[in-house]
Amino acid sequence: MALEQLSDVVQRCQALPSDSYTAEDHDIFTIAGRSCIEEGNSAQVLSIVLDEKNQDMVRCMGWNLLPPLIPVLLKKEDKNLPQCLAIFNHLIQTCRPKELLIGLLEQLEQDDPDTIAESLHLLLSPLQKVLLCLGSRKPSSLGMTLSSVLDQVAKLPLPRTKEQEEDDVFSLCRCCTDLTDFVRPFVDEARQNLLTTKTHSEDIDKTTAGQDEMEDELATELLKFCMKTLSHPLLEVQLWDPDTLPVSPLRMFATEILETLRAIGESLPSLVYQPLLRRKQVPGFLEEEVRYPKESLASLAHLVFVHHLAADTFPSVFSPVFSLRCTMEHILLLLSRTEDFRIQKGLELYEKSLVRVEDGSLPADLLEIKTFLTVPQNLVKVMTICPRHDLRTRGLKVFQLSVDKFDTEAKYRFFQYMLKTSNHSGVEGYIIKNIKNQIDIALQPGNSNTWFEGVHLLPLLRKVLILPDGPETDLLQYLDRIMESLNLLRYLVIRDKVTENQTGIWTELYKIEDSFMKPLRVGINMSRAHYERELHNTMEAKKKKKAKEEESVLSVSVGDEKLPSMTSESQIQALHSALHTFDMIESVLVRIEELVQVKDDP
Amino acid sequence: MAAEPTREWSDEQLKSDDLPKKDVIKFIQDNAAHSFLNEHKLLGNIKNVAKTAKKEQLIIAYNQLFESKRFKGTDPVEEVTEQVKAVKIEEKPKEVKTEVVDEGPPKYTKSVLKKGDKTNFPKKGDTVSCWYTGTLEDGTVFDTNIPTAARKKKQTKPLSFKVGMGRVIRGWDEGLLTMSKGETARLEIEPEWAYGKKGLPDSKIPPNAKLIFEVELVAVD
Repeated sequence: MALEQLSDVVQRCQALPSDSYTAEDHDIFTIAGRSCIEEGNSAQVLSIVLDEKNQDMVRCMGWNLLPPLIPVLLKKEDKNLPQCLAIFNHLIQTCRPKELLIGLLEQLEQDDPDTIAESLHLLLSPLQKVLLCLGSRKPSSLGMTLSSVLDQVAKLPLPRTKEQEEDDVFSLCRCCTDLTDFVRPFVDEARQNLLTTKTHSEDIDKTTAGQDEMEDELATELLKFCMKTLSHPLLEVQLWDPDTLPVSPLRMFATEILETLRAIGESLPSLVYQPLLRRKQVPGFLEEEVRYPKESLASLAHLVFVHHLAADTFPSVFSPVFSLRCTMEHILLLLSRTEDFRIQKGLELYEKSLVRVEDGSLPADLLEIKTFLTVPQNLVKVMTICPRHDLRTRGLKVFQLSVDKFDTEAKYRFFQYMLKTSNHSGVEGYIIKNIKNQIDIALQPGNSNTWFEGVHLLPLLRKVLILPDGPETDLLQYLDRIMESLNLLRYLVIRDKVTENQTGIWTELYKIEDSFMKPLRVGINMSRAHYERELHNTMEAKKKKKAKEEESVLSVSVGDEKLPSMTSESQIQALHSALHTFDMIESVLVRIEELVQVKDDP
Repeated sequence: MAAEPTREWSDEQLKSDDLPKKDVIKFIQDNAAHSFLNEHKLLGNIKNVAKTAKKEQLIIAYNQLFESKRFKGTDPVEEVTEQVKAVKIEEKPKEVKTEVVDEGPPKYTKSVLKKGDKTNFPKKGDTVSCWYTGTLEDGTVFDTNIPTAARKKKQTKPLSFKVGMGRVIRGWDEGLLTMSKGETARLEIEPEWAYGKKGLPDSKIPPNAKLIFEVELVAVD
């Protein structure tokens, strides 16, 4: 039936000039043609399509046959495959590029990952052919195509391990390779354009409209493409180094993207250092921030500095401190959200940037730059609440590394800042330990400075040797901080001779006794009494076996965690644990008091 | 300085049991120099001091205070304490202008290979563009932006950056400021003004490397 209809309309149109085909002719051809293919009569359709007499018609209407063809081509085992492939190839050669483009792009839209990957693999090559035939419309069509392609790629699951990349079960890697092949001729063209433009400056000269504009447009579309891929998939996948994975399609893909950027005239240093460089406004149809999305630049910085892609073309003249200042912006971006891969990349980039700087060399005025304060704050979040243990540990390591790079005054101010803003007992404790180390260094011969002994130390100590809520401070919640403060105090009392008083601790001691040691004593006694009472009550309740029925009025925190309602056995254990903690705090406090006494009576 | 304190009690009053130790301690603490208190073990909480000090000791101390006149404010230590109290540490980091400290002789040398126009010298903040080649002392080329024959097809541009702003290694910042447009010079830069003790990890530049650059200054904006 369909075949007859098709034959009829074809015969009819053979006699007509192509501009007088009616809408009805189009419709019949389309519907009948599609049905024939779907019904398996592709051989007949092939002969119609190849017939010399029908070429005008094929040129006008042939592209409508694409929708049923492509599923056949994707299925691969279909017995009609050879004929359909032949029809397909002929259509690509014959039909108008503009219409073919629409038809092909429609077929890209798929839902399940397998089909997506297969249709990309199938269609990228014909799309390329079609685009290369377009004249002035090429850049915008290329842009549209790349946008659709990347939307499809975004639906594919990402490999998460080296093995998954090798296996490439969902064909993401193959898609990336296909994509590289796809853009290659356009990149070459853009590169050629660049070589022939009149000026060499970064501003694209708009002397001649038309040709120049088109060249600019091509570069602009490729730039959009690169920026998009830097975000996805490149930011989200883990790249493996050549030692770990010698053949890595993803690493190849990333390298090609960087090469494409160079080909269109983008300077890698300008891109990664962009946060600090005031780029000249490029007159064009994209605003600067849209043109260079921050996330893409952060991804780029990671590729350049952590994976050393394009390392041999990156100038080795920039100062490490300047480099650090720029990358802090990228690091801030990466550390501001909670996805594992972003945090990992943020930490890696931070570490790489810090390692290039000498210890104790970063000056205090860097702390006037906002990122030098906000990045540590984000780092604290990673160290304290990131669910992954390895990232928390790494975060702490990078945190200490960053502290080590500051000079003495900067360390001082940084510690002040962190004590004021971190609001976390563990972090504060860690800072206090650092302060102790700095004091220890300052007291060594030849290292004396005004920050960790001398004039500035006491104001800092006053912020350390306090109880946040006086005698009512929750000792368990603030345990880390309190223990480190006590350790610091004990250290000072032992290390600094009363006759020398280099740190000023001895003249300050009577104040410290009033503001810290005495309230702490009171607090310990109060807490101990309270917990002993609770212990007693709980044990009584347990004896009466009413534990399960009674509402627990007691809320217990051990360390930082508030424990869920427990069995009375667990409650008792927790209470004992708390009491041991108070003993521990008290023992250090008593030791300090002893030491102070000894100094008083030699 | 405040007027000298006067004796409140006579010897007999001091010895009397009616006069509590605490009062004597308080007086001495209020009026004696810090070092005096320290020597006589009268520092700290009055109650504690009262527990450890005998009345006789206190009387001796009291008398010694007036004999030696070591009152508050006579101690050099106190002055320091006062100064420490007076120091205001601002919470916000101040506007610290990093001044260039004269560290001695420049840590690079320059030999002119081709003279420039001797009129267009870059100032701090100007954008300069240059072609360059960087080598280590052993001759290894670690970096260059000059198109070689093989690279002719690829578009290469001279490196552009703002000079004198600490964006590049110090040897470059200092060296380029002495060059004029069109000049080609050989800069031999000591590690202190290059990449120092760290070198450039993951590149050809090892720690403590002296770097040799041949630089052509093509443009100054």
